[in-house]
Amino acid sequence: MDGGVIDIGYPELFAASALMLVAGFVSWKLALGQEKNIITSALRAFVQLLAMGFLLIYLFRYQSWWLVLLVLLIMAICAAQIAVSRVKQQVQGLWPSIFASLLVSSMVIAFIVVEGVIQPDPWYSARQLLPIAGMALGNTMSATAVAIDRLFADMDSRADEMFSLIALGATPREAALPSIRAAVGAGILPTLSTMCAAGIVQIPGMMSGQILAGADPVIAAKYQIVVLLMMSAATTLAIVMISFLAFRKRFSAEGYFLDPALR
Amino acid sequence: MPLFEVQGLTVAYEGTDGSATRLADISFCLEAGRIYDLTGPSGAGKSMLLRACARMMPIERGRLLLDDAESSGFTCQEWRRRVCLVPQRASLVPGTIRDNLLLPWTLKVNRDRPAPSDAELEELLAAAALDAGLDRDAAKLSGGQAARVALVRAFATRPAVLLLDEVDAALDDASAQAVGDLTASLADARTTCLRIRHRPPDGRASTIYHLEAGRLSALPAKGGA
Repeated sequence: MDGGVIDIGYPELFAASALMLVAGFVSWKLALGQEKNIITSALRAFVQLLAMGFLLIYLFRYQSWWLVLLVLLIMAICAAQIAVSRVKQQVQGLWPSIFASLLVSSMVIAFIVVEGVIQPDPWYSARQLLPIAGMALGNTMSATAVAIDRLFADMDSRADEMFSLIALGATPREAALPSIRAAVGAGILPTLSTMCAAGIVQIPGMMSGQILAGADPVIAAKYQIVVLLMMSAATTLAIVMISFLAFRKRFSAEGYFLDPALR
Repeated sequence: MPLFEVQGLTVAYEGTDGSATRLADISFCLEAGRIYDLTGPSGAGKSMLLRACARMMPIERGRLLLDDAESSGFTCQEWRRRVCLVPQRASLVPGTIRDNLLLPWTLKVNRDRPAPSDAELEELLAAAALDAGLDRDAAKLSGGQAARVALVRAFATRPAVLLLDEVDAALDDASAQAVGDLTASLADARTTCLRIRHRPPDGRASTIYHLEAGRLSALPAKGGA
């Protein structure tokens, strides 16, 4: 034990890996063909989280502002890469827009929360900044992929309507606006559902982690409230940004809708 | 002086089925207040030509002129307001017929233009043989009725040139006749109409252009405005 935290030994940690056999068995029994994916995902989580743990030990000990910002930048690059890979629609050149949306939304909101609410010393304290920014990035990453898929699926289903609107003199933004609204609504929904269920259906991740680490449950709840509000703000900002940046990919420079033959 | 002029237009389009259509060096001009028909076999590129005239597809070469002014002198939206295309599958937005007819006035390009009154809209609907009220839900209209609402919506904006892509294809004979009458009344009000039609000539066109194998030729029209 260390300061109220019960450590997990490496033998127990490896033994816990057997839990992924449940998902593997289901995949095999139902012929889902996901066995390789399950093993890769579990291995990635294992390696990435342990690596992050060791990195954080180093950062907490030798932290400097540029090193913390560099880690945040790398996290945003990886988040953008994962978000792009999750988008089901075939859309070229989305990476810069997704990266910009994730970076701006997550970092702006995370810095407001850390510097305005938690107020660590020094301001770039890795112990506060990295977990908070990481949570913001993780949530916005998922919401961004959902919003982009909804945006392009909605625009494609409204192709005739948008063609008519453009023919009447609408700008691409005017023609795409109903789809942008639908995408923002779809992207924000999971975060709102999480907020509604928090404290009743589940104890959210951060609060659970703090309680397991021996923190006062009320303090943990206060942190969780701040984090949920932060995630709601970051997600909204990210999906609004990405929707307004990405819808133009379906329009030419002359402002007409690019149907499949013109793409 | 012609109202609308196409000079040396070259466009190419590859369909999703891999079929390629290319129009090379197409030139024609339209006089103000006249009706023109565009005929030709399926796949000849008639819809593509109308899209190119409305600046709604890539143009490789050529010039489009309206009242002797180059198309590049207009923003795309201003051009489309003046040279308005009504597509074959014109689509309505959720809402009432009034919402749909006033849709163009919710757009930035028409911000400075006064919207038509209910009386004017009802007059246009009646001229298109539509007796549905302005408050009727557009989602409950039949295909033919929806096509006429889309047509009336474009008519109401009073463009200089109206490009009609088989707008009477889904209509019965009586409704097609009413749409023809409405087109004629627009032509009387100095709007030029270029129509793609597969129906027998109705005697309203002053010139019939025929597009085949990438070449455009003018046929003598019987009668005409």
